[in-house]
Amino acid sequence: MGRGAEDYVIVAEGLRKRYDGVEALRGVSFRVRRGEVFGLLGPNGAGKTTTVGILVTLVKPSGGRAVVAGHDVAREPWEVRKRIGVVFQEPTVDRDLTAWQNLYVHGRIYGLPRRVIEERSRELMELVGLEKAMHRPLRSYSGGMIRRFEIARALLTEPMVLFMDEPTVGLDPQARAKVWEVIEELKKRGVTVFLTTHYMEEAERLCDHIAIIDHGRIIAEGSPEELKSMVGGDTLYLVAETRLDAEKLLRIASGYGEARIAEDGRVVVLVARDAPRLLPRILEEARAVGARIVETRYVRPTLNDVFLMLTGRSLRDEEGGWRDWARLHLHARRG
Amino acid sequence: MEAGGKGAAVAEPSWLAAFAAMALRQLLRFKAAKSRVINSLVFPLIWLVFFGLGWSAAFNFLGPMSRSLFGGLTYLQFLAPGIVIMTVFMAGFGSGLGLIWDREFGYFKEILVAPAPRSALLLGRIAGDSLAALLQGLIMAVLVTVLAGWPGVWGLLAGLAAAYVATLTSAGLGALIALSMRSPEGFQLVINLVILPMLFISGAFYPIDPLPAWLKALAYINPLYYAVDLARGVMYGVYSTPPLLDALGLALVTAGALGLAVAKFSRTYIA
Ligand SMILES: Nc1ncnc2c1ncn2[C@@H]1O[C@H](COP(=O)(O)OP(=O)(O)OP(=O)(O)O)[C@@H](O)[C@H]1O
Ligand SMILES: [Mg+2]
Repeated sequence: MGRGAEDYVIVAEGLRKRYDGVEALRGVSFRVRRGEVFGLLGPNGAGKTTTVGILVTLVKPSGGRAVVAGHDVAREPWEVRKRIGVVFQEPTVDRDLTAWQNLYVHGRIYGLPRRVIEERSRELMELVGLEKAMHRPLRSYSGGMIRRFEIARALLTEPMVLFMDEPTVGLDPQARAKVWEVIEELKKRGVTVFLTTHYMEEAERLCDHIAIIDHGRIIAEGSPEELKSMVGGDTLYLVAETRLDAEKLLRIASGYGEARIAEDGRVVVLVARDAPRLLPRILEEARAVGARIVETRYVRPTLNDVFLMLTGRSLRDEEGGWRDWARLHLHARRG
Repeated sequence: MEAGGKGAAVAEPSWLAAFAAMALRQLLRFKAAKSRVINSLVFPLIWLVFFGLGWSAAFNFLGPMSRSLFGGLTYLQFLAPGIVIMTVFMAGFGSGLGLIWDREFGYFKEILVAPAPRSALLLGRIAGDSLAALLQGLIMAVLVTVLAGWPGVWGLLAGLAAAYVATLTSAGLGALIALSMRSPEGFQLVINLVILPMLFISGAFYPIDPLPAWLKALAYINPLYYAVDLARGVMYGVYSTPPLLDALGLALVTAGALGLAVAKFSRTYIA
């Protein structure tokens, strides 16, 4: 199954970054495959923005190396910059200009002819649902619209990989859902995306592959399923019609994992891996022996459980607070 | 839209296109902020009216003898070219301030991550800002020459050409200072420390010939001195320094400021 290096759009090896005094990155390594949505998930201050900064050639690493779109970020930053699109954590638009003017300047700086800029702008603004706002000054855009606009702008040059640093931080739920829809559409089209987030729902919903970062280190990596299976498994609740049925069920369930009877004697609790695949099999076996089931339900571990297990802290504590909101909006107001 | 495709064609940035795009962006911003035009004219106008007309009256009181102090010009004529230069010179520093605001509001990163040569991005920006400044200079030049005496179309245009170069100087210096500063406040502080002395020993308000040697020495490293002397010469025919020397001094300082600013910008990272 050997994959060549050319299948990786990003290769990071032992990245380190020290700001005077602070060790922001302490040896970060990962690989991002062509066409996947890769998520870097971690709490505030974990080193996400620093990692993105290095990958997009704007932060000089203190150690390690990174190859993005086939070029070393330190040795050939110009080659890397030609091939990437970036949506930074804080807005980087000119609010005095209209969306079209922003797009035109961007396209010309990257060397696109006007005709191509016009064509793609129309298409991309439609993709992000802003086609009607093309000639409005960005000053009149909401935070969510600015985010979507920045995604469109970053895609203007058809980059090999799109970087997004916390694309939905500080957005209200509707605005966040719209950004998610855009990213899901990109995923369908096969665009390679590198995003950072500290929202686990976001990572879980959008990403094919997730690396969890904490205090400048990658502490776990894998698909959302792989990560969650680290916690030990899903918990299934099988409610039998009678105690007798429950006992029959217990015998079946014990074949799949740790099982016991709980509550009033009619509920079988089973902890096992991969509940969605297991459940139909259990139901089939139950029917075969005539054990009647009235209700089934299962709970899957979340990425928060993974983070909790690895660090003893909860990601949820850090999530979506007023601080995120304030950060985006205070920033926007100055603009 | 097939990003991530195999070896998709990669656009090649062009120096000229990037330069023009940045110039356009600055001009669009200028158009969007009309108050800035007014703003940049207010200070020199106040200077012209309260300082210029005031001293003019005082010197007129002295009689024709005072003219010998100003190379045969009236005080208003002596002052007028300096006011135009001052207008565009300050507008040029505004270009540096724009860099600071771009960093505050984020647009700076959009520029830093672009693949175009940094020299094109910075010089394009300065070209746009200096064209806007030139427009302000033109307005000011018409106003002051109406008061002080018409220098003829060619005199006016030549004066504006000198003013344009002075804008490039201050834009280069402004960018250099802005790229070395962390905050808008710091920039403002340095600019205030730099602008006023430069204005006062530029020969714009009084001739520097009678000054003590050490002050004169400072004037000779002051690009504003060359710009003012050149503008006054082409507008009203009175020079303190040979025009060729003026032009050479101005060109050297300008090239130096722009070169240093480009070098600094080329080495700029976020961290
Ligand atoms: N320019 C800088 N100078 C000094 N320290 C910095 C700088 N930038 C980041 N740091 C520090 O490095 C660490 C990692 O910061 P980074 O911005 O990469 O984290 P992050 O995961 O993006 O966090 P957030 O969710 O808040 O955006 C933090 O401790 C931060 O304080
Ligand atoms: Mg960050």
